[in-house]
Order: sequence, then structure tokens, then C-alpha cells
Amino acid sequence: MKQRRAEKREGATRRDFLRLAGTGAPVLAAMSLAGARVAEAGEAVKGHGIRVTEHMRKYYESLRF
Amino acid sequence: MTTETAEANTLLAEEDIARAAIYDLLAALLHRPPDAAALARIAALEPGEGEIGRAVKSLAGMARVMDPESIEREHTALFIGIGRGELVPYASYYRTGFLNEKPLADLRADMERLSISRAPGVMEPEDGIASLCEMMAGLILGRFGEPASLAVQNEFFRAHLAPWARHFFSDLEKASSAAFYAPVGTLGRAMMDVEEEMFRMIGEGEAIGPVAGSA
Repeated sequence: MKQRRAEKREGATRRDFLRLAGTGAPVLAAMSLAGARVAEAGEAVKGHGIRVTEHMRKYYESLRF
Repeated sequence: MTTETAEANTLLAEEDIARAAIYDLLAALLHRPPDAAALARIAALEPGEGEIGRAVKSLAGMARVMDPESIEREHTALFIGIGRGELVPYASYYRTGFLNEKPLADLRADMERLSISRAPGVMEPEDGIASLCEMMAGLILGRFGEPASLAVQNEFFRAHLAPWARHFFSDLEKASSAAFYAPVGTLGRAMMDVEEEMFRMIGEGEAIGPVAGSA
């Protein structure tokens, strides 16, 4: 919990920096290219990797840029 | 396990998802040329601010005027060629002049440690730029387990991308066969600069992990 609060604090500056650098735009493109994703980075070993990816895909979709 | 996973995901900042998206985009385009549908989506991108925004703007512009066939020929000339392409996008090659050298061995050790494995049927060495970008995206989003902390991301970036990726992307920007791939190079170079700067920021603030309590 302590670590999470700390990350929130560092978050402000770091996240502001990322926003200003214009990192937001390609999210939609990457999402749409998900089907063409390179496969060679391998698979999650813990068995819930696919679920994480699906969750992330929904997360991608919920974003508005 | 499921609950933990969902919780880990909710902790991801939008900006980190955006970082992962850029890595995914670079990985997808470098691995294989985009088809017509992918190209149409890239053409429709609305660029944001800064260096990355400018690179996205050129990339979208290029996607509007080019067709998949010429981009495919360009991809072949750049990365595959007859014998070899104009560029050899592997860490070992950039850092030692030869393929399958120590940088690949070091990467394999880190992949093992981070529970990343090569997908079945893939023949090329893992230290290619597309694979490394995909691994960064996977670490950020938690595709190989839990999302990696910024400290782990930084370590991976420092060991496997920082020593050569900016140099590669800058070569790609200037490559004589590059038209569509020139702004891909610009985007990659800009991303490497953003990542360098971001990791420096968190390094200075000692804001990674528990020590950040005093920040």
C-alpha cells in the first residue's frame, strides 16, 4: 500500500511529462493492430496471461484520445 | 489470482498504456508491413503534442498516400533483402557487428528471469527490434504475469534497448529505401528519447518502490 501511494506521487510529474510528449495518439492504432501483433515475445507462464491481455484490450477500447 | 490480476491492471496509468501502445505499434510495423485495414487506421490517427505527436503526424500522412504493396517492398528492402536488408535490426549486430552474440545471450537470461518465452515456430533471434518493443509493451501491461514495476522496466530498457535502439531508429529515418518507414524511425527515435528522459526523472526522484515514501 505504501508503495502504491508513493507511485501515485511520482506519477504526477512523470505522467505530465508523458502527456506533454504526445504519447497518447497511437493507442488507437496499436489497438487496431492487435491482431497483427508480433507473437515471438512469448506467452505468460502464469496461465492468466490471456485474461490480462483481454482485459487490457477492453481498457484500450475504453480510452478516448 | 483473477482478482489480483484485475487489481494490478487498474493501477496502470493511462500514460503507461499509451507507452505500451507505442511499443506495440512499433513492434507491429517493424515485424511485418501493415495491410490495407491497418494502414487506414494509421492514416486516421490524430497526432498529439511534442516529438511523438509530430512523428505520428508524418506517419499518418505517409499512410494516406502509400499502398500496402509498396510498403511491403520497402519492408523487404529494409529488413530482409537478398542476403540481407539495408538494415540489420538486431541488438547483437548493432552492438558487436555480428548476429547471435553476447547481447542475445544476456537477453535470453533476462527473458528467462522475467518469464518471457519465445513463441513456438519463431525462428529469428529474440534480440530483434520488433521483439524488444513487444517485450517492453508486455512488461508494461503485464502480459507475462503481473505488470513490471518501473524499476524492472528501466533495467530492461537500459540493458537491451538503450545501448543501440536509438541508433537503429535514427538509421531507419535516414535509410535510402525508407519512405513509409522513415517516420516509423522518427517515432521510434522520439520514443527512445522520451523513455530515456522519463526513466531519468524517476531515477532522480528515487521514486521507484518503497524508498519513495520520503519524496
